[in-house]
Amino acid sequence: MVDLIVFLVLLSLGYLVGRHAEKKHYRSIIERETRLNALPAMAMRSPPMKEYYSQALVTGNVVISVDYFKRFLAALRNLFGGRVTSYESLLDRARREALLRMKAQAEALGAKMVFNVKYETASISKGRRQTIGSVEVLAYGTALIDTRRQ
Amino acid sequence: MKYSNPQIPEGINTSDSHPLKEFVLLAGGALLLLVVLAWGFGEAGARLARFLPFESEAGLVPEGVLQSDAGPELQRYIDELATRVSAELALPPGMQVNVHVSGGDTFNAFATLGGNVLLFRGLLEALPNENALAMLMAHEIAHVVHRDPIVGIGRGAAIQIVAGLVFGDPDLAVLGQAGIYTQLHFNRDMERDADAAALRAVNGLYGHVSGAADLFKVIQSERREQGGGEPPAIFSSHPLDQQRLQAITDTVREHGWRADGPITALPAAYAEWLRDAARRHDKPAD
Repeated sequence: MVDLIVFLVLLSLGYLVGRHAEKKHYRSIIERETRLNALPAMAMRSPPMKEYYSQALVTGNVVISVDYFKRFLAALRNLFGGRVTSYESLLDRARREALLRMKAQAEALGAKMVFNVKYETASISKGRRQTIGSVEVLAYGTALIDTRRQ
Repeated sequence: MKYSNPQIPEGINTSDSHPLKEFVLLAGGALLLLVVLAWGFGEAGARLARFLPFESEAGLVPEGVLQSDAGPELQRYIDELATRVSAELALPPGMQVNVHVSGGDTFNAFATLGGNVLLFRGLLEALPNENALAMLMAHEIAHVVHRDPIVGIGRGAAIQIVAGLVFGDPDLAVLGQAGIYTQLHFNRDMERDADAAALRAVNGLYGHVSGAADLFKVIQSERREQGGGEPPAIFSSHPLDQQRLQAITDTVREHGWRADGPITALPAAYAEWLRDAARRHDKPAD
């Protein structure tokens, strides 16, 4: 009985707090994305411009933890199969946040754009049972900085 | 060439379904699956349990769970009545019934593994005549004849194994717990069948079924006295006493049995025997 109460408290806490945090995070992501649209990040491997630019490696890294509710929902989903929608938004947030942090770094360097952008994803606490998992997303690319006029 | 990162519309990489809706759907499905699984295993366990030979049932009862507080006279009387009732119930060959009397004031009686029937003084004291006692005994012995205790335990053990496997704590030592021998629950069909068989036995014994309904009236008035009233049918594995009385009336009419006839009184010393059993219960003999 005590186990059940603890479980229900964790579940509702995970739902309420997790959902609030997610909504807040999405608002912040969209706001910063709109602002940083002026600094494009491209996936192409070679620099798109012929002109001389200095280049710098820029990285953006984020670790997001999955809440209890999402984890429980995903465990239930494992039983029946199908899209694990509770993790979709989690990973979407992580990827976008990582890219934004990378762009923020590029912006601080005065870059015009970032090319050869790549993502790395890692799951923290991989393989360990009975732990709330976290996901790490790393976005990195080469920033092009116009230093001629400086 | 112009390079730009347009604002990506929301809802492409994520699904727009409400998490609570998904939760209800998935949790409901999982629960349903669990119930179906437990029910299926329970039924299989119940069916398999029937194949267990009656002789090996006795070995499953731990020592000390069943002991009789009855003095020699009471035990002789109970045994004699049990023999007559058993003859009417046509016990299969090899099946043997042992009726024990507990001196405790619990208002109860039950049948358990190995043909053991335990009657409590609390209930025995309330019985008005021998016909009611015969009905009570016939009901419990009918459970033994129908193999209800082992079927109940088979079902319970199978369900417990499913629960253990699903919740990751398989307690497979279910048969080692003494509690399950005294807290067996039979389902309604089992009770109804036991009632019908008991009625037939009482009719065969006395030539009429008068007094059999007295048993249920006694149980009913005891429940009312405790103030709890009758529990709703869904919470109780025993059919409501009112329904049981109705079923008895129906069965009697169906078979054309006589509903009244001469009542057989209990032995004169019956009450004294029970007081003696109570004393033995409170102060166990060395």
